[in-house]
Amino acid sequence: MAKLLALAVKDLRVLMASKGNLFWVFGFPLLFALLFGAVYAGAGKGPSGMKLAVVDEDKSEFSQLYVTHLESEEALKVTRLDREQALTQVRKGQIAAAVVIRPGFGDGFSGFSDANNPKLQIASDPGQKMQGAYLEGLLAKAQFEVMAKRFRDRKWMRGQMDTWRGQIKRAGGLPGADANVYLRFFDSLDNFLTDVNDRTYKGGLGNGILNVAKLDVQREYDGPRTPFQITFPQAILWAILGCVATFAISIVRERTTGTFQRLRVGPISQVDILAGKGLACFLTCAMVIVLLVMVGKLVFKVPIGSPAMFLLGAVCTCLCFVGLMMLVSTLGKTEQSVVGAGWAVLMVLAMFGGAMMPLAFMPPWMRDISHVSPIK
Amino acid sequence: MATITVESLCKRFGDVVAVDGVGFEIGRGEMFGLLGPNGAGKTTTIGILCGLVRPDSGTVCLDGKSDPMRPDVRASLGVVPQSLALYDELTAQENLEFFGRINGLAGRRLRDRVAACLDLAGLMQRRKDRVATFSGGMKRRLNLVCSLLHEPAILLLDEPTVGVDPQSRNLIFDTIEKLRSDGRTILYTTHYMEEAERLCDRVAILDHGKMLVLDTVANLIAKHGGASHIEIGLDEAPQDPAGLTAKLGAGELGIEGNMIRFQTMEPAQALATLNQCGVRYKTLKVDTANLEDVFLNLTGRRLRD
Ligand SMILES: Nc1ncnc2c1ncn2[C@@H]1O[C@H](COP(=O)(O)OP(=O)(O)OP(=O)(O)O)[C@@H](O)[C@H]1O
Ligand SMILES: [Mg+2]
Repeated sequence: MAKLLALAVKDLRVLMASKGNLFWVFGFPLLFALLFGAVYAGAGKGPSGMKLAVVDEDKSEFSQLYVTHLESEEALKVTRLDREQALTQVRKGQIAAAVVIRPGFGDGFSGFSDANNPKLQIASDPGQKMQGAYLEGLLAKAQFEVMAKRFRDRKWMRGQMDTWRGQIKRAGGLPGADANVYLRFFDSLDNFLTDVNDRTYKGGLGNGILNVAKLDVQREYDGPRTPFQITFPQAILWAILGCVATFAISIVRERTTGTFQRLRVGPISQVDILAGKGLACFLTCAMVIVLLVMVGKLVFKVPIGSPAMFLLGAVCTCLCFVGLMMLVSTLGKTEQSVVGAGWAVLMVLAMFGGAMMPLAFMPPWMRDISHVSPIK
Repeated sequence: MATITVESLCKRFGDVVAVDGVGFEIGRGEMFGLLGPNGAGKTTTIGILCGLVRPDSGTVCLDGKSDPMRPDVRASLGVVPQSLALYDELTAQENLEFFGRINGLAGRRLRDRVAACLDLAGLMQRRKDRVATFSGGMKRRLNLVCSLLHEPAILLLDEPTVGVDPQSRNLIFDTIEKLRSDGRTILYTTHYMEEAERLCDRVAILDHGKMLVLDTVANLIAKHGGASHIEIGLDEAPQDPAGLTAKLGAGELGIEGNMIRFQTMEPAQALATLNQCGVRYKTLKVDTANLEDVFLNLTGRRLRD
């Protein structure tokens, strides 16, 4: 046991003596957590000032309201262009996307629901899926908000009622009974709109609909409470990877410099030598985790679920990686080959395990592969 | 009685036969030299002796215990590897302390031994410096004493003096001679024949994995050393070269102005004869056969590897 400890202490000393090792094991992960945490924190509000061209082919009262609303949106930088210009600029990458408002967009509800003939067309770079999705969200939000304003406009609602009633009567396609149900529904709605006082209407119904829009907004903040909550666990993974790589290399270095042989010649078994390495690797992993967790918890208030579970998880992770380290160290005979092979293995595992990208952002096939990566 | 017994060791690496039927016995307190050109199989033999290399066949017995692969058999063993096996990132003292702990030392004894070894290596002043900052000779000295911490009864030294200056070499020699006078059993490999001549009781010469000879240095020189070279500078050119040649019976006499060169198996006899003939010489140089001649005569002058 004393020998095991001596081995581990020696390894820690050797580790501490090299600034490069220290950086990979301690510095880089911390930097990673801080830097990417800061970046994500900025991005949490969405990309700011996305350049968007709006082509209003509808030119109705509603479409104009809509465009004004988009222009007031902080996250967008809206310019009004005609269709040609807008599409050219998207193609050239001068703007992120173009929205074409087709004629008929302002025709009340039908503008929303006609799936075959969408009244809103978005042109954007297909490679930028995230951005496209984000834009769609913004557009839908704007539409809801403009609609909500409209619902609060009693006169417009009653006009809409009349149009629908006329349509139903004219259409004649509906069986009489069904048509009557709709007509009676519209009648009572009309009555309601006439009789209800302004405050109730705006306060009740108006807010109700606005809530829909708000819900949509809230969903964006549903994720981790702070971006550091993602980056710190990732940093821990990086730290462990750093440890594994460093120790795998150190095993091979001992083999090439001959200290490993010198140890083997001593009155100590090979198992003990490897166990000493493992212990040192384990201790280093544990130290980095403690360091990162302390910084995360004290400085950035990253919540830790259950400390006991976390501890158990951490210990298991470390043990698993110690095994991985041993494996990596056998991949090559020289330092260079182990460095190469080791990083290749670790990088692939890291990529699929979520050390670089949060799992949530991965395409499904990658997520499937990620189940095999111990890094996850 | 013998502390190291080796019998018909064989070891192949693929096509290369590194050790081929090597066998010897080294008695307690004896200093045994293992010589041979590059790639002769010296390091491999030491590797087998300390359990690093598993022989294909043959047996090794250390102090009566066979199988050096077992850690307890190696407890009385000190091995100085040919390549510097030190932690560059640690200081001299940290290196010694670490290897001491691995060899089961602790507490006061560890401290005493580390200090003694630092002293032995002449590194007391530099003990707090990292090994990476050491010169080649300092590293060699440290490499040596790192194996002496636990005062092993058997020492295997694989070229402990490569690449050191005469000062360091003398310090290492002194250390080794002190170890021998302490009664330790030492196996020593080197390419420097004068080292083996000075230090070793008996010497074995290895080539291509095979042991060519095994004997005391004096016996080897007598048997395989060949003639001595004698060079004499005279006041004036000899009067009767033919008569001198006949008297010396030394084969061909090389005469060049007033210089005479010749080879003889009996240098003392030849010089006595010269005196009797009343030859007065100004300078005299006698190159008696040495271990290097033995080595070259046995292994040939062709370059290895
Ligand atoms: N691990 C190994 N794998 C393959 N071949 C080896 C190995 N170790 C030694 N050899 C070969 O065995 C032969 C003997 O090598 P060894 O190191 O024992 O020679 P040596 O006498 O110590 O030489 P030197 O004086 O140059 O140190 C050489 O031909 C060498 O190439
Ligand atoms: Mg060698």
